[in-house]
Amino acid sequence: MSAHAATADHSHHDDHGHHHEPGFWQKYVFSTDHKVIGIQYGITAMLFLLFGFYLMMVMRWSIAYPHEPLPGWMSWVFTDTWKARWLQDGKVTGDTYNMFGAMHGTIMVFLGVVPLGFGAFGNYVTPLQIGAVDMAFPKLNMMSYWIYLLGGLIMCASFFMESGAAKSGWTNYSPLAGFADGQIVNQWLAGQTQWLLGLVMLITSSLLGSVNFVTTIINLRARGMTWMRMPFFVWAMLVTGFLLLLAFPPLEAAGIMQLVDRVFHSSFFMPSGLFTKSEGLAELSGGGSPLLFQHLFWFLGHPEVYVLLLPAIACVAEIIPANTRRPMWGYKSMVYGVIVLGFLSFIVWAHHMYLTGMGPKISTWFQITTVLISVPSVILLTALMISLWGGSIRFTPAMIWACAFIPMFGIGGLTGLPLAFNLVDLHLHDTYYVIGHFHYVVAPGILFGLFGGVHHWYPKITGRYLSKTLNHLHFWPTLVCMNFLFFPMLIQGMAGFHRRWYNGGDAYLAKAADSANVFGKTVAEYIDLNITMSWAAWIMAAFQLPFIINVFLSLRTGKKVESDNPWNATTLEWATPTPPGHGNFTFDVAAYRGPYEYSQPGADEDYSPQWEKPKTDSPVVAPQPTTAHH
Amino acid sequence: MEIPYIFTPRKDTGMCNSKIAIWLFLASEVMLFGGFFSSYVYLRLGADYPWPERALPVLPGLINTFVLIFSSVTVVFAWAALKLRKWGMFQLCMGITIACAAIFMGLKGIEYNVKWHHQAVRLTDYTILEGHLDKDPKAIDAKGQPYEADVIHVNAEKLTFSTVRFHKPWVEEIIRQAEAGKATVALAEELSLQGQKLPAGTKLSVDLLEAIQKNHLKSRANNADVRTDALRGEWVAAKAKAENAGKQGWEMAPNINIDPAKIANSIMVETPSVSFVVTPPTNLWFKHRDIKEGADQSRLRDDTAIIGKLQDSPVAFHNLDAIDFRHVVMQAEKKGIDPVKAIENTWLIKHSKEAKEAWEWNKAQTARLEQELLDKYGRDENNQPKRVPTLTERYRIGWKDFVAKADGVDKGKEKIHTSEEFMGPNYELREPKHTFPHLHIPRELVFLSGKFTPAWNTYYAIYFTMTFLHGLHVIGGAIVLGYYLFRGKKMYQSNPEWLANRVEVGGLFWHFVDLVWIFLFPILYLM
Amino acid sequence: MADSPEQIKKSIKTYTFIGLVLFIFTGVTVAVATVPALDIGVHGFDHWDMILGLLIASFKATLVGYIFMHLNHEKKAIYWIFFGALVFFAFMIVLIMSAKSDPIHFNGFDLGLPF
Repeated sequence: MSAHAATADHSHHDDHGHHHEPGFWQKYVFSTDHKVIGIQYGITAMLFLLFGFYLMMVMRWSIAYPHEPLPGWMSWVFTDTWKARWLQDGKVTGDTYNMFGAMHGTIMVFLGVVPLGFGAFGNYVTPLQIGAVDMAFPKLNMMSYWIYLLGGLIMCASFFMESGAAKSGWTNYSPLAGFADGQIVNQWLAGQTQWLLGLVMLITSSLLGSVNFVTTIINLRARGMTWMRMPFFVWAMLVTGFLLLLAFPPLEAAGIMQLVDRVFHSSFFMPSGLFTKSEGLAELSGGGSPLLFQHLFWFLGHPEVYVLLLPAIACVAEIIPANTRRPMWGYKSMVYGVIVLGFLSFIVWAHHMYLTGMGPKISTWFQITTVLISVPSVILLTALMISLWGGSIRFTPAMIWACAFIPMFGIGGLTGLPLAFNLVDLHLHDTYYVIGHFHYVVAPGILFGLFGGVHHWYPKITGRYLSKTLNHLHFWPTLVCMNFLFFPMLIQGMAGFHRRWYNGGDAYLAKAADSANVFGKTVAEYIDLNITMSWAAWIMAAFQLPFIINVFLSLRTGKKVESDNPWNATTLEWATPTPPGHGNFTFDVAAYRGPYEYSQPGADEDYSPQWEKPKTDSPVVAPQPTTAHH
Repeated sequence: MEIPYIFTPRKDTGMCNSKIAIWLFLASEVMLFGGFFSSYVYLRLGADYPWPERALPVLPGLINTFVLIFSSVTVVFAWAALKLRKWGMFQLCMGITIACAAIFMGLKGIEYNVKWHHQAVRLTDYTILEGHLDKDPKAIDAKGQPYEADVIHVNAEKLTFSTVRFHKPWVEEIIRQAEAGKATVALAEELSLQGQKLPAGTKLSVDLLEAIQKNHLKSRANNADVRTDALRGEWVAAKAKAENAGKQGWEMAPNINIDPAKIANSIMVETPSVSFVVTPPTNLWFKHRDIKEGADQSRLRDDTAIIGKLQDSPVAFHNLDAIDFRHVVMQAEKKGIDPVKAIENTWLIKHSKEAKEAWEWNKAQTARLEQELLDKYGRDENNQPKRVPTLTERYRIGWKDFVAKADGVDKGKEKIHTSEEFMGPNYELREPKHTFPHLHIPRELVFLSGKFTPAWNTYYAIYFTMTFLHGLHVIGGAIVLGYYLFRGKKMYQSNPEWLANRVEVGGLFWHFVDLVWIFLFPILYLM
Repeated sequence: MADSPEQIKKSIKTYTFIGLVLFIFTGVTVAVATVPALDIGVHGFDHWDMILGLLIASFKATLVGYIFMHLNHEKKAIYWIFFGALVFFAFMIVLIMSAKSDPIHFNGFDLGLPF
């Protein structure tokens, strides 16, 4: 960057000539190029997802077969010392289950899905789609990746410490989380503390990231890329950026306060009378409030749901128009919908807290806002669904995932509605119904969208297609297993199965013999579903292998792309060379039209790319740098 | 490749990148401090103890406020100087700004330090006492000197360490204390590690514990392996049996057990804990937070069990500079008891003549103040006095009250020194007159004892957390501004407008830090 | 944006003046909190002191924001960003406090059970 950047308002020539070639480390590891960082995010996030998945597989063993030792194919990764510490004769203990459960949630949400959706796809695609050379602050971008990695590693390192990793659920509620690992003298080396340290780092990372994203989207759009010409993907990233920016800091505050509680023995979240001197080692002043933590946590927690969701829905929104060959239905309503969604997501959080003794007035408020927020969600989903109508659909691998996303996410969303109501939530709170609901949103919903994204942009990233055959081998079993895994949860949940039973309800079976014990009987009736679900999970794990093989194998053997725009899509990322070089565009890029102009009347082909200059007699206004405020 | 709009505004948005970014960052800072401010309000309204209103010395906070506001002015001057291309002026203003940051942090350090050396105790009857501790003659530091220790003494006879969990520094401290007490700590029973016998009487050392730990972990891993394999075998065998056909796991489980006889040969001896005898039994002391004490047996947080008689471990105040009954009154009112009676029934008033005197004096003072307020402001339509003394005036006897009492009752000529407004009372100025009572409090009456740290109550917790975080912002801002001051010359020569932009952005952050303090000062010091 | 030298020289005077006002109001806020004669409301701290203190603080913060941080002539987008955050902060504090002030009073079912 030199001084003449001051005047670089107009064009960025491909002036690589006078740059010295960066070395391997600078090019692939400590790179400031948004594309490399995006790929780094993607690979790291997928490794974390795999790890989180593995934790879940162990948990599912404990749920399905609580009396049997872990099979060798599952426990071989542990060292002997570790097994001796955390397994009882090879069986998963309650403590271990809690640890795996807490870390499964944390890893999947904070280390897996958010970095994959926002970090990887956001980083790679956003600057390309708005026609920018890079992010506004490339070094900051690199920093946010490394802080994220460090935070993630700190969290996971605690698995190998005496205390083990965090055990208080991914929500980390005080006072449970305040006391957990209290026996560890040096609190900085307790898993529960490391969780907080890791969390503070992850939040810092996503703050840097979101500042970068929003600045880039506001200021680095190419000529002619007006707000309403931005692809929906970019809009979703903008809203996600704002959600991260404004919702995460209160959790950072809560995390810092809990850290102070743990390390300096304060009582932010510890009520009076919880412990007295005679009852435990903890000498606490009391006077704090556990509910305060829940408020601050869920102030993030709910927007976080949309941070997870929006990148996935954004991928789907790119895939569908490109593969139906018709404009997206209701682009504007989707844009307004996503903005309203972002706004509303800040004021619904206490629907996670109906059981904390909230009064009827405030609970009414949260019920109303919660039901309201389903309106923009439904607008998004409906627009995507109607976009399919009358299209000439190409079932490309990405499109298959996108098509599966819609019903799967639909189930996830609709099963959430009952939970919005206080009265129903009294019954369903903390049961497997809740687990089923949000896993339908996150796993077959969000992950399907992101898988679709991988297939959609892989040709741009590598210049080769992913194998269709391997994708079928990945997609269909995954779709089937997902439903066998999560649908029974809804049933079990309505029967009253608690989400934190480490032995899947086994403890209630002895009571089933007692004819007066109705609940014992109910448990006996539905407990066998555990085995179905667990096998679905393990089989699904096996069928992720085709995907992993596909990603690596196709690097070498995949079919080469025929052009820079293999899907004949319209958005700007397809105007770059394949793969895009440092600086992205080789010509003076500008947007001349809206993002999804497929099958336009009068056009030569069934797609009119944004970067294509309109024919002179066309009524489209040539873009000029405007002086007006947007 | 060039990133556009680094400091020239984009035409249609009218902003450069850094301007957008800093405001986005400040927006997230609003939410961060917003989270803390919300917590402050929540904790304050929900406090079930008397919130310490106006508890901090105002003077340091006031000076700090002036310092920060002044630095805010100078930083904006520095920016203006750059715009006018006056490098010398810029250097001067920026230098002052950074000096202000240093003064701010220096004062903050003094404030913190005073609190970290000021003792507080809450008794089980809710009386709160503040002051400084005596040196504990039984607690000897590494130099052989007694020190101000707030500890539990145990006459240790036998120590049992957990081999997986023992905390090295604590073991070292125990060895040191035992040596100081001329006692030996030695292995109670013979212990056999793999291929090595440790005779009874082997002296305690960290190395020894580590060797035992290593051996234990090895045995534990081996045994776990053996037992897992055995259990797996049992399950395979059980599933193959005809009578178990079609049975679910949970139905078979009660009948499936590892046969100890089968694996006896492969099992190695585990040593989860190891005991040491102290001869002769000697006095050991532990920080009260680390030990759960019992009459004959105590336990440390790292699972070390200590057998031995609990010793008298009072909290010994050398000087008591505040007596606070507000919490007593709050509890009394909750139970519908007359507050004054409740106070006069407290252990303190019953056991300390000096405290009782101070209380009586304070009562008289309050009555006088009550009369004064009545004379000045009169009564309202319900015949109630319009203004009455506050809870603090009625029920808290602070160090300034003790000084005033020395003037009034003891006919002294005491005055409060300016340094004391920062550092708290200076006993040496008044020691001979016994202005401040001495006191020994039996440990069983102590509910909570410690310095003024976040652990003392939620007010100090939020005070420390918020001001510390704010302090971090001050330091961070000063580093960035200092970078422009000391490393900005080159940039100034090549592109002064760019530097001006950077300073403007850094200045925005600095103003925000000032803006947060503008709220922190009243809510923490004045309310 | 004050960019020409004359404007900047003019604004330096403004900054000095605003600095003085901030100093004075800091003094005022301490005086009303510590000098008994200036005490408003009842004797000692009460909600009037709180309101007054926060009003003065808000006034000072506004001056810092408007003058020192140039919010008096800033782009619309920046208003949206910064005041947007303030709106969400307001939502946070108001909703948390209303949740706190609207608890369910549950004294056990009236079944003669011991809870």
